[in-house]
Amino acid sequence: MTSLVELRGISKSFASVRVLQDISFDVRAGEVHALLGENGAGKSTLIKIMAGVHRADEGEIRVNGELVHFASPRASAASGIAVVHQELLLFPDLSVAENIFMGHAPRTGWGALDWPQMRERARDLLDRLQSHHIDVDAHVGSLSVANRQRVEIARALSQDARVLIMDEPTASLVEEDVQQLLSIVRLLRDKGVGIVYVSHKLPEVFALADRVTVLRDGALVGTAPIGELDERRLVSMMVGRPIDQLFPKQATKIGAPLLELRSLSFNSVVRDISLTLHAGEILGIAGLIGSGRTELALTVFGITPATSGQILIDNQAMRIDSPQQARDLGIAYVPEDRGLQGLVRPQSIAENISLTVLKSLATGGLIDHRKEETLARESIAKFGVRARGPRQIVQQLSGGNQQKVVLAKWLATEPRILIMDEPTRGIDVGAKSEIHALMSALAARGLGILMISSELPEVLGMSDRVLVMKNGTLVGEFDRAQATAEAVGAAMTLANAAANSSGEAA
Amino acid sequence: MAIAGAINRRSAASRLVEAYGQEFVVLGAIIALFMIVGAVNPRFLNDNNLVNIFSGNAYIAVAAIGMSLVIISGHIDVSVGSLIGVLATIAGTLAVQGYPIWVAWTVPVLVGIVINALVGALIAYFRIPSIVVTLGMLSILKGGLISVTGGTWITNMPPEFFIAQARLFGIPAPVYFMVVLTILMALWMRYASLGRAIYAVGGNPEAARAAGLYPERTCVLAFAMHGFFAGIAALLFATQLQVIQSTVPPNLELTVITAAVIGGVSILGGTGTVIGSTLAAILFACISSALVFLNVSAYWLRAVLGLLILATVLADMARRRRHRAAGRL
Amino acid sequence: MSRYLLRHEAILAVLLVLALAVLAMQSDRFFTLDNLLNQGRLMAEVGLVALAMTFVIVSAGIDLSVGSILGLVAILLGVFWQKLGLPLPVAMGLGVVVGGVAGLVNGIIITRFRVPPLIATLATLALYRGLAEGISQARSVRGYPEWFFVLGQGEVLGVPTQLWIFLACAVIAAIVLGMSTFGRATYVTGANAVAARFSGIPVDRTILLIYMASGLISGLAAIIFVSRVSTTRSDMGTGLELDVITAVVLGGTSIFGGRGTIIGTLLGLILMQALKNGLALAGVKGDGTIVVIGLILIATIIISNLVRRDADG
Repeated sequence: MTSLVELRGISKSFASVRVLQDISFDVRAGEVHALLGENGAGKSTLIKIMAGVHRADEGEIRVNGELVHFASPRASAASGIAVVHQELLLFPDLSVAENIFMGHAPRTGWGALDWPQMRERARDLLDRLQSHHIDVDAHVGSLSVANRQRVEIARALSQDARVLIMDEPTASLVEEDVQQLLSIVRLLRDKGVGIVYVSHKLPEVFALADRVTVLRDGALVGTAPIGELDERRLVSMMVGRPIDQLFPKQATKIGAPLLELRSLSFNSVVRDISLTLHAGEILGIAGLIGSGRTELALTVFGITPATSGQILIDNQAMRIDSPQQARDLGIAYVPEDRGLQGLVRPQSIAENISLTVLKSLATGGLIDHRKEETLARESIAKFGVRARGPRQIVQQLSGGNQQKVVLAKWLATEPRILIMDEPTRGIDVGAKSEIHALMSALAARGLGILMISSELPEVLGMSDRVLVMKNGTLVGEFDRAQATAEAVGAAMTLANAAANSSGEAA
Repeated sequence: MAIAGAINRRSAASRLVEAYGQEFVVLGAIIALFMIVGAVNPRFLNDNNLVNIFSGNAYIAVAAIGMSLVIISGHIDVSVGSLIGVLATIAGTLAVQGYPIWVAWTVPVLVGIVINALVGALIAYFRIPSIVVTLGMLSILKGGLISVTGGTWITNMPPEFFIAQARLFGIPAPVYFMVVLTILMALWMRYASLGRAIYAVGGNPEAARAAGLYPERTCVLAFAMHGFFAGIAALLFATQLQVIQSTVPPNLELTVITAAVIGGVSILGGTGTVIGSTLAAILFACISSALVFLNVSAYWLRAVLGLLILATVLADMARRRRHRAAGRL
Repeated sequence: MSRYLLRHEAILAVLLVLALAVLAMQSDRFFTLDNLLNQGRLMAEVGLVALAMTFVIVSAGIDLSVGSILGLVAILLGVFWQKLGLPLPVAMGLGVVVGGVAGLVNGIIITRFRVPPLIATLATLALYRGLAEGISQARSVRGYPEWFFVLGQGEVLGVPTQLWIFLACAVIAAIVLGMSTFGRATYVTGANAVAARFSGIPVDRTILLIYMASGLISGLAAIIFVSRVSTTRSDMGTGLELDVITAVVLGGTSIFGGRGTIIGTLLGLILMQALKNGLALAGVKGDGTIVVIGLILIATIIISNLVRRDADG
């Protein structure tokens, strides 16, 4: 059968960085075609080309067999391609109905907006998506994330989308909502819509997809029907080499407990977490997105201080109400969102690195610029940051080097507890192993590392112990020996989770 | 299916109340004010005084319509007072110098549209924050006005010029302007796609662009319309008395902005209605008159305005935080 | 960051020299010591507030209420001294403190209630001015003792008193913004407040202190202003925010935050004052001057935006 959308030979570069190389991809009616790849593999650029946001440098796009050129997102939408973005593009103060029909609202004979029609059709669309409980007059801003997503999907349907591109749709959803979303996707598929499902959550892919395409470093690794693949094969397609080779974790002597959490909670987002982190240990925290791992980190780090429970540092109960306090207690946090939370992009490497230790670089409140520069030079050398010098603007560095700067910034505080949230997200493979080697060396020096990661191979390869979180609570704990992809993956996804004590795989 | 029907069958009345909550509050405040002040000093409810309140301040309500458009689109204009001063002077000067009356009436409106369209273009296409452009424009207009005219009063305008003093069925023309323009604009903002575009662009410019709208053109449109209403307001303002002081009416931009904000236009953009701002403008007129009848010095008026803005903004922020928290459930 | 600024300040310095040259040629009254010192005197009030406003704008904020704070403190000075009978030095000190409190209120509304600085200070602009008008009831206070006028109209070692004060504050401001940890915190807050918070910088406290300083200095400027014009009126300081913001923006501080220096602000101030003086000597009245200031404000931002896009792009 003819594909709804077919891409052939697509290549794209941004400022001499090749992001996509000769990609071929197609979507058929009534299929769910999963698009997989690590961060930086090029998935997002490919989608934007399909959506008309970017224009490919080479290659062609065909819709229903005919050659098309998308000059703008509007053109792509007119061809029947709709995108449900990761960050929902909605109008919080306008009603659900209006959001669904913004830009293409039904009109009366006089050209005025036909509100009753709009509300009725919105109701109809939502009902078709099993969303009877969403009020078409409600302000979108008052809806939950999951419901807002349904509004976006309804919006895509309202434009008679034949192809629906969903970009990490379950990224911010909690478990029950994920299941409901999956059933909506199946519903749409059964109606003949072609769905491009971008995700790195393998369990979902296996539950939903008909075909899978894997991208790696901008190149097409392969496209295959889901039946021909298993998880191990898929992971190696994404990652490119056998898993064990990637992660050089040295064996270290595990020392005294550095950090202990007892029944730590933050509202209902982090619930009753108890764990212990020892010196020399890398404690991996696995879980689906939305499981509360970053929220846990933010609670320990003082951004969202705990509402109940205890934090003990060196066996002493401490109250952490701000990042300053956390830092002074020897806790460091390398955040998930590097660009927004980790770096001040318009400033130099030196200015970024000194940010956490300004007081120690200053005498009488005045910053000693020589000390600052020395610190920067030392860090650049120590961490192998590829840059022109300490004065280079951080924005110009590559993802891997930027991450090294963030790491350097925090290591300058000489922390004893290092929390790393998605430490190698958006970083090329070479830099990835450099970062892992650094982490290993730090653990060997006696730091305790709390590693939050959504990349199962990374968790399995680097951790001495693995904790699994789901819906804000701990649902599994595994020693290095017991932690297998199946066991951990199962703990992450199964509805009835494994027992908390170690050794009991699901 | 039964559930769906039930949700949609939520009475039109209850939907109305929820959508226009703030407007009802302001209406309630007006009524309350009338009752209280009327009880303390019955002369407040005098025919003459009522005419003064509604007719004499109608120009503020008209200007507030335009300001609402600007604020809903996500911007602000602190130069509207100076603009009205300039346009009023232009109107008066043209009338005195013998131009046909329709010229004296339409030229100021056109000038208002052009100037503000220019401001809108600077904001949209040159990406200059609206506070900065309009702050600069405020001085250019104010300084320009006083430099050119020396602050002299314009007198001896032909009697046909005084549109504000005309009456139809005993009701002064400004009241008609205020009511008719408010209703027209309210309808436009509800039923015209360009009207809804202003809400969209103010609420989430990125989403607006992704939905195929044009944020820049919408911004210029909002400002141009604002210029139109400033022009009409200037005419009403200029023709109230027999003379025009070529100065900038004090406090005007603040009053107009406050009217919009209290009327439910959120200063963060994206929500609010012109009905609300008109009601709020009427509320201020009442308050300012009430101060006189309650023997409170008029010099406290600006402090009252400041407190009202602050209170409304704080309430707005609190409401948003509540909505966001609820959204996380 | 430094490369951009050097370019902007260099251009500004060149412009300044050109402007001074032109003005000197236009009128032989310009380049006299008397005139220059007098210009320095006139510049001091705007200058003081501009020092604080530099911090405010670098932190990606704005303070529209400075003029109203000045007016309020001016009125309160009269009230404290004449109505309440406090000794004048105490009244002066109290006035400055009230300015600081007004600024603190701004800071609290912004940090605690999360109201955007534009709206918060727009509201307090009205509130403080309204308080000034209400308290004064449009009556002015006169009859201050002789020694009081030394502040605004007198000289120390041949240089106007307020100019000394301004220079001292400028030096302190330059050191704090350019070299201290507080200055660095200000820059980072403006460039990326989230990252600043995540790095342990006390963002809220920094913002609070910046707005409080803005209020304090506006209060100080009020005292000097009253001393200079020998009377207090409730409309004092109206339009101050325009002059101050223009000077700061002209000096290279980005309206979006994260960039700017005190030296730039000083150059911007001097350039503006020179322009005002030149216009005055050419016979243009005060109202014509504000037209020019308004045009400069808009032009500066247009140019700086275009340059920025080149630099970032």
